Amino acid sequence: MLQHLLPLGTRDEFGNRAQTKQQLISVIQAHFKQRGLAPIATPLLENEAVFDPYQMGNYQLYRLLGNEGQTLVLRPDLTLPIARFISATKVPLPQKFSYVGDIFRVSRQLSGSYNQITQAGVELIGYASLKAELECLTIAQQLSAEVIEDAVEIELGDAQFAQRVVASLTDAPQTQRAILTALFNKRVPQYQALIAAYQDQDLYPFLREWPRLFGQPEDVLQRLAAAPLPATVQPSVTRLTRVVNWMRRTMPDQAVSLDLSSQAPQKYYTGLTFRGYSQAGAGYLFSGGRYDQLLANFQADPEPAVGMGINVDLLTSLATAQRSPQTQQLIYFEPEQWNQAEAYLAKQPYASLSLAPNIVAAKQETQRIGATLVDLTGGGANA
Amino acid sequence: MPKERIKIALTKGRVEQQVIPLLEAAGIDCSLVRNKKRRLIFDSTSQPYEFILAKGPDVTTFLERGAADIGIVGSDILTEHQSTQYELLDLGVGECQFVLASTSDFDPRAPRRKIIGTKYPLITQRYFDQLGQDVEIIKIEGSVELAPLTGLADAIVDITETGTTLRENHLQIYDYLQPVSTRLVVNRLALKQHQQAIYELVDRLAAVVSSPSSKESVK
Repeated sequence: MLQHLLPLGTRDEFGNRAQTKQQLISVIQAHFKQRGLAPIATPLLENEAVFDPYQMGNYQLYRLLGNEGQTLVLRPDLTLPIARFISATKVPLPQKFSYVGDIFRVSRQLSGSYNQITQAGVELIGYASLKAELECLTIAQQLSAEVIEDAVEIELGDAQFAQRVVASLTDAPQTQRAILTALFNKRVPQYQALIAAYQDQDLYPFLREWPRLFGQPEDVLQRLAAAPLPATVQPSVTRLTRVVNWMRRTMPDQAVSLDLSSQAPQKYYTGLTFRGYSQAGAGYLFSGGRYDQLLANFQADPEPAVGMGINVDLLTSLATAQRSPQTQQLIYFEPEQWNQAEAYLAKQPYASLSLAPNIVAAKQETQRIGATLVDLTGGGANA
Repeated sequence: MPKERIKIALTKGRVEQQVIPLLEAAGIDCSLVRNKKRRLIFDSTSQPYEFILAKGPDVTTFLERGAADIGIVGSDILTEHQSTQYELLDLGVGECQFVLASTSDFDPRAPRRKIIGTKYPLITQRYFDQLGQDVEIIKIEGSVELAPLTGLADAIVDITETGTTLRENHLQIYDYLQPVSTRLVVNRLALKQHQQAIYELVDRLAAVVSSPSSKESVK
């Protein structure tokens, strides 16, 4: 009796949702093309070793066995396959890539999460200047303004800030990890117990308020300026200040915030990070940043890189909720009126040719699917 | 009605009974929840909170999926369900302890693969992993004490507050695992979306929890 059942965590997409998603993907791809990004498509199946640097968190991989007994996986991420491609092909750099594809992550069973997620993204490989981050932020801002009605807030962070602050407290890797884990997960009771060991240090007042170090950029930067932070974090603070100032000038209507108490999306991130969310969404719409160690798993020479992934499924959910479904039109015509029907079809965004053999069948079909009928035969149109 | 809405998923039953006085001491009107009858969802018109009453494991699911902004739930459930959300406050109520317990003839050092009954397979697995012991775990949904008494398991891992139920069932404690208490947990994105309102609530509750007189009055 399995023939009608989907595996847990998967879904069919049809109707309004499928239509909205296709339109979103078209808009995103057109935007990427207009900016001169080179499209790239990598296989769904990869060798498991490609994803060695990838932190799965609470997710699992879909694993399969290859012909020679090697472990293959359904890709859980689209960035590392592009790193694998660059390293294997020695494609000339710098290059700007774009992609749209599905990723697969097995989430906790019966949790209501989907295991197949459509992602679009950008990888700017070989660019060391801050302009790469700024182009990614521009794409994120322009696309979110174009595809959803809700205001999107862009949150900036830094992949190295927390590690460097904690490294100034202790050399013990285990203690560093414990503090960072408690901080990133905001396990405040546990975090407070861990930092109690540093009560005598000048940095202690900062440590106490660190889990709340997010929000309006001016407020966060002011609190940073007042704290006796180690010199090692100064480049991060300077970079964040530059980006905030640039955003204020270049996209004055864009809501922006800073978060210096959160973990970077992956451990290969090395610099600025950014994420976007709306008030209505139950997740981040996009996420990205600088990862100059991206190729470290594949080759000895590092390459500077900035990229971001866009959660197309979440965008689709928001856009579908905002759009009222369009009533479809069915065009009834005789075969000799084909060109006339085609001309009408070309002008109507939500029309389709009725393939019913006669007007009675066409009316029945129209009623069944809740459409309106356009009768080009002149025999009782708009039933 | 205030425009900003914060959905609070509260574990029904004992946690609900212990936490409502804390919420009230923090100035939150819980009269709708107190007079709940058979309702499970309560939307206040005078304050920005909407309460949902749910079982503990479901509170974590609501939070993970973003269907609730704040969850009030035991740390036993958060650990067992591998919650990834922000744990902002220990409410200092519902305090109890995980224990390894069994009948008096149980030998924890016996050189054989033990069978352990529990509602908490993950916590049990982690505990025996730390001891370097391989055990067979049987998941039991209720009245875990029955497992060693009926021969279903050699011992149990369960939570106990005073040990009375264990004693009344002629079981004794062989080891203490981690302590448990009720926590206030916040969905990661909700904290960004409602930063001020959530911290305002957290700070009010933290003041109540840290005040010995307020805490005494809600016991």
